[in-house]
Amino acid sequence: MRDIKLPMSAEDARSLELGEMITVSGLLFTGRSRFHIRAIEENLFPPIDYEKVNCFFHVGPVMKQEENGEWQVVSCEPTSSIRFERYGADVVRKFNLRTLIGKTTMGPGTAQALKEVGGVYLSKIGLSGNALRGQVKKVHEVHFLDELGKTEATWIYEVENFGPFFVAMDTNGRNYFEELAREADAKMPGIEKKLGIPEGYDYTEVNG
Amino acid sequence: MLTKEIITEAMYNAIRLGATKMPPDIREALERAMNEETDPMAKKHLEVSLQNADSAEKGCGLVCADTGFPMYFVHVGAKCTVEGGFNVVSECAKAATARATAECFLRPTMVHPLSRKNPGDNIGPGMPKVEIIFDREDDSMEIIAVPKGGGSEIFGTFYRMFFPADGKAGIKKFVIECIKDACYAGKVCPPAVIGVGIGGTADVCMSIAKKAALLRPIGVHHSDPEAAELEKELYAASRELGIGPMGSRGINAVLAVNVDLAVTHTAALPVAVNAQCLVGRRWKALIDGSGNIKYSGEFR
Repeated sequence: MRDIKLPMSAEDARSLELGEMITVSGLLFTGRSRFHIRAIEENLFPPIDYEKVNCFFHVGPVMKQEENGEWQVVSCEPTSSIRFERYGADVVRKFNLRTLIGKTTMGPGTAQALKEVGGVYLSKIGLSGNALRGQVKKVHEVHFLDELGKTEATWIYEVENFGPFFVAMDTNGRNYFEELAREADAKMPGIEKKLGIPEGYDYTEVNG
Repeated sequence: MLTKEIITEAMYNAIRLGATKMPPDIREALERAMNEETDPMAKKHLEVSLQNADSAEKGCGLVCADTGFPMYFVHVGAKCTVEGGFNVVSECAKAATARATAECFLRPTMVHPLSRKNPGDNIGPGMPKVEIIFDREDDSMEIIAVPKGGGSEIFGTFYRMFFPADGKAGIKKFVIECIKDACYAGKVCPPAVIGVGIGGTADVCMSIAKKAALLRPIGVHHSDPEAAELEKELYAASRELGIGPMGSRGINAVLAVNVDLAVTHTAALPVAVNAQCLVGRRWKALIDGSGNIKYSGEFR
């Protein structure tokens, strides 16, 4: 399994194949709904060097502060990225993001934006929050903690062999899950037939 | 007579154990699914998830970081009495949830629905959910604590009012379409347990669907033969979608389809679907009349 350095180079991004399992090493920042909404609607975002910290990890981690003030990751399970699709493309373009890490997938808008910037979307393998926690080597800083709380705040992590994740969107705009969904759709008529649902059957509609 | 302290202790430990241990029936079902899958990524999804549960059990983290919605189903005996009355049970659930959150066994996830403000303790109007069910004869109280992940609730909840003329075809078409949508891209974290409520009012229908998904042990079918037949048919159909663990190429999008029934209006056919994610977190605390507590993840 390949380990890809962060920030991801254009060349590395292009080399990743749809469905390939990889790990990543370097710096990333975290966020979820509130990051997306505030960055686009209010132009309010953490003052980070986004060229250097260029990987957006969709997560609401469980964080614990030690007595000496240092923050520890208790668990960091990627969260469902599809919820952010309304803002996904704008966020990718605004910060020129070449790596997104999350759960599930994103929609055609984000796929197009990733294609433009030459980026990839990585989706999680299984539930892996505890292993991922151990791969966070350092918690560098946190932004908007008081305003947003531990789950929605933006944390900057330094990670090593972080993963595994798989390439769910590549730099060509292909989406692993959309392709699989089309295969499932094609199987539906046969499945419905087996279930005894008459051909052309539809639910009773009572609205004009 | 059970005291507030004892009930709070039982609820705290049940939700803590629920967040850190995988119930044995779920583990067995996931291992079976892992052995059955052939696609390397489908297998890997389950292998990683089982390892994650192992490390949580050893005191290193959680079965899943999204501890979601805190819920308590409380089965009470006719002879069970509570100091201060049964109103106390909700207070106990709040205290137990706040403590488990403060100790990082639960993530502070519950927020105000409009302002999105997070009080940080998972407590507010309507949450934690507490359902008291008076369904036994003795003086005991059984508490089932369920930290229900967001994904399965957000992406795995469907309801439609059908009509008698829509028949079983309508029910089947609806459920299989719900399964496909819920499991797309691993939204509900498959392999999911799919609870299907048929009948009742809208709220009864959703409530029985939810309980069928969360509380029934894997491998148990409904006692009504028609309902059991529906469960088997829909489970078999789900395996032909080509969708596997976490939405990958595979077979096991679903661990079980659990149907439950309620009588309904002669003009109505309400159907609800509610999914539970692959880790099926639930743990129970049984308090006897003297206040002794026993904990178990065994629901079979």
